Amino acid sequence: MRLPYHCAILLGLIVSWAGLRAEAAVTFGVDLKGHPVSRLAEASDRVVVLIFAASDCPIANRYIPVIDQLHTEFGSKGAHFWWVFPNPDDTAAIVLKHNHDFSIHEDSLLDTKQTLVRMAHARITPEAAVFVVRAGGLSEVYHGRIDDRYISLGQERPRPQRDDLEQAIAAALAGKAVQGPGGPAVGCSIEFLQP
Amino acid sequence: MMRRRIACAVPLCAVAVVLVSSGRDSVLAGSGATQASHVVKPVASPTWSHDVAPIVYAHCSTCHHPGGGGPFSLLSYGEARRWAPQIAIVTKSRFMPPWLPEPGYGDFADDRRLSDHDLEMIQTWIRKGMPEGNPAEAPAAPHYDSVWLLGKPDLILKVQHPYVLRAGGSDVFRNFILPYPLKQAHYIRAIQIVPGTPQIVHHANVIIDRTESLRHQHPNDWEYGVPGMELVVDSGNRFDPDSHFLFWKADTPVLTEPADMAWRLDPGNDLILNMHLKPSGKPETLDAQVGLYFTDEAPTKHPMLLQLDRDDVLDIPAGDAHFVVEDSLKLPVDVDVLGVYPHAHYLGHDLEGWAILPSGEKKWLVWIKNWDIDRQSVYRYKEPIYLPKGSVLHMKYTYDNSADNVHNPNSPPIRVKAGNRSVDEMSHLWVQVLPVHVAPHGPDPRLLLEVAWMKNRLTKLPGDRIGLYNLAAAYAGLGEYGEAIATYEQVLHLAPNDPGTLIALGAAMEGAGKWQEAEEMYRKAVGAAGGGRERCDAGFDLGAVELHHDDLTHAEADFKAQVEACPGDASGHAGLGDAYASEGRLDAAEAEFHASLGIDAENEAALLGLGELEENAGHLDDAMQHLSEASRVQPDSAEVHEQLARAYAQNGELGKALTELRATAALKPEDPTIHSALAQVLTATGDVDGAIAEQRTALKLMENDPDGWNNLGVLEAKLGRNAAARADFEHALRLQPEHAQAKANLARLGAER
Repeated sequence: MRLPYHCAILLGLIVSWAGLRAEAAVTFGVDLKGHPVSRLAEASDRVVVLIFAASDCPIANRYIPVIDQLHTEFGSKGAHFWWVFPNPDDTAAIVLKHNHDFSIHEDSLLDTKQTLVRMAHARITPEAAVFVVRAGGLSEVYHGRIDDRYISLGQERPRPQRDDLEQAIAAALAGKAVQGPGGPAVGCSIEFLQP
Repeated sequence: MMRRRIACAVPLCAVAVVLVSSGRDSVLAGSGATQASHVVKPVASPTWSHDVAPIVYAHCSTCHHPGGGGPFSLLSYGEARRWAPQIAIVTKSRFMPPWLPEPGYGDFADDRRLSDHDLEMIQTWIRKGMPEGNPAEAPAAPHYDSVWLLGKPDLILKVQHPYVLRAGGSDVFRNFILPYPLKQAHYIRAIQIVPGTPQIVHHANVIIDRTESLRHQHPNDWEYGVPGMELVVDSGNRFDPDSHFLFWKADTPVLTEPADMAWRLDPGNDLILNMHLKPSGKPETLDAQVGLYFTDEAPTKHPMLLQLDRDDVLDIPAGDAHFVVEDSLKLPVDVDVLGVYPHAHYLGHDLEGWAILPSGEKKWLVWIKNWDIDRQSVYRYKEPIYLPKGSVLHMKYTYDNSADNVHNPNSPPIRVKAGNRSVDEMSHLWVQVLPVHVAPHGPDPRLLLEVAWMKNRLTKLPGDRIGLYNLAAAYAGLGEYGEAIATYEQVLHLAPNDPGTLIALGAAMEGAGKWQEAEEMYRKAVGAAGGGRERCDAGFDLGAVELHHDDLTHAEADFKAQVEACPGDASGHAGLGDAYASEGRLDAAEAEFHASLGIDAENEAALLGLGELEENAGHLDDAMQHLSEASRVQPDSAEVHEQLARAYAQNGELGKALTELRATAALKPEDPTIHSALAQVLTATGDVDGAIAEQRTALKLMENDPDGWNNLGVLEAKLGRNAAARADFEHALRLQPEHAQAKANLARLGAER
């Protein structure tokens, strides 16, 4: 049985996704119109933020306003946000309705082959991954929880005390070392495709 | 005539709850903690269809269904498989099903805790890859397709303006005021709360605001809901302690009272829906409804909510992980404990409640070792816990204000005191008790409980105005007017011109027979009140005391002033009608009674007054109709029953007259005139033996009544018991030697011999 979450990456650990370049022919799933997504970063982007989500995951949904706020804070500073829906049941129609209901303004894609799940080592929704755009490629500098509001399923702070993702994006944009999350991501397991 | 004002005018009762399992629960419930004792080894290879579906349907689907309070549905194999990883975690940690009390420390009616057997079954199933098994073996999934589970309610109340909960941020505590719109009172046998969007509602309490006090605190915006975690409402001038837990949780949307414990709503009452809301990620519109189911059956059992609390010593240092408060309350009467509602905010950690009996035996009420405000609930016992008089209720709450407490709303921790905000704390243990072994004509045991409760409060908070006021009101209710007056005077020392206290003190003085002083106090209250409800109450009481003591001139003048100042006060018009009737101005009286009924069709005084007028005028049909209505509205009014009996008797309906007189006697068993009247009606029906028994009862209560002895003699003579009759007539003549009828009857008896 899979663990429901996985441990934090170590401080400063950088995982390179060798060979992947934004302009390469590799695709990262499809957008909500069914078009393949081949570029996660535009020319002006310095950081790519992936938010793994599921339309039916209540904890992921509760973080939507938080991500919206981070987008407002960092979107104009070179951070490109993507909502990534990796579960097979999250079809384009379902996600379109979900995004409409929850007023999601950021880009969304369906990770139909779970390429991004593997690339970011994601296991939970909601879970975040931050990549620095470096020499046309993406280097992962953070993956894990958004903040520490949820300690585990059933243990929840009234409000977060540590905003892990916010700090990671700020550090990545500033070119500083990025701290790993202070605890595990908590939420709903991603439904992995059978090999 | 007098309004009752023996009351806790400033109730401490912020919360009321009833937790009753819905019919659905009772069908599906199966494996509680108690079943853990007979250990059945889980099967080695459980399947969904054979083993797991019955557990999930019984314990999870009640909330986890489309439209239910759970965030996702668990009504099929596919859905269970989808959420299996989370199910494994939350059942193992016992976060789900939500149930805080430790097993073995209170045997609760709606225990949702999974048995060890069921828990192991689920864990094994998930560990072994969640096999479906044979779908044909699976039980049918439950249906949740009706909004109103008991059928269409008799009355549906809706929030005035739907509330939009913001998408994110901290939890929200909000109160929606639902005015009771009817002009007739109703007893409520069941209530269903339909929050509209149950997924965002953690829990909800319904509080009865008898005096529209919350509305008056927020005159401009009450229709949009009022923020706040806790409430204090004014329960008005009638001793009617909140006695029911009206508490909503996702799996218990219908709260049904036992047949003999309905609760009452009167015209002018508000229901307050106190809700704990959790943002979902998108703006959610909450348009809650409350469905009320009526009954004609008045309650015969009157429970009461007692509160243990130590808010007064809540001053928790930052970082203190083991801050303990305790309270205790000695019970002055025998009670059955029906339920408990422990309550703290985010720092509460270990909550204990128990009772020590006079024998020294300890009975646990509840123990929660890991408190979580998000999963708070009312807990009702499977069987009431009997506590004899002299038992002591205890609570001991431990708070964790360290950074290690994940629920701590303050980072870093700060010093925390008691308060209404979520960052403040509370230490409450509500206990619902039903007095038992109540002496038929003894004092209301709830008043004795109130005295004990308030005295306990005052030992913690000497000079506390609420405690003093409620204690004084309880003394007044018990007829201990000296104590009541002394205690109200202490309140007045703290708040010299408080109109409510002046009125209550006046009533206590009136009870003590000091009616001139009472009149002065009411007059002072009229001056102090300025306007509003207290002005109306004071004005009414002033007119009523004058009327009661035949000061008709002042009564008429003050009631006239009353109806001018309070034109919507039905009782004022009824009082003026009484004043006119006493002056013999019957047409004017009738007009005022009708004016009163135009405002409140159930005003008992107006119905009674009108009935009396009609009876005296010989309009017996009208009289019986109005008096019957008065009896329905106020079934415990001896005056109404007596008047109605008189009307029936005049109309020749002796059976009904007998019924009403017996009802009167039950309410006024020490009144000899009622037993004499019973004797007369029984004689007319031919039941002379019964009549003699009643007449003897009357004479036991009033031995020196020559008429009574004479009447008894007549009854004895009717049965040919001449010696007994003679003795009775002679008894009458010893009391009143010139009693003409006794003399004549004695002579007739001699002649017949």
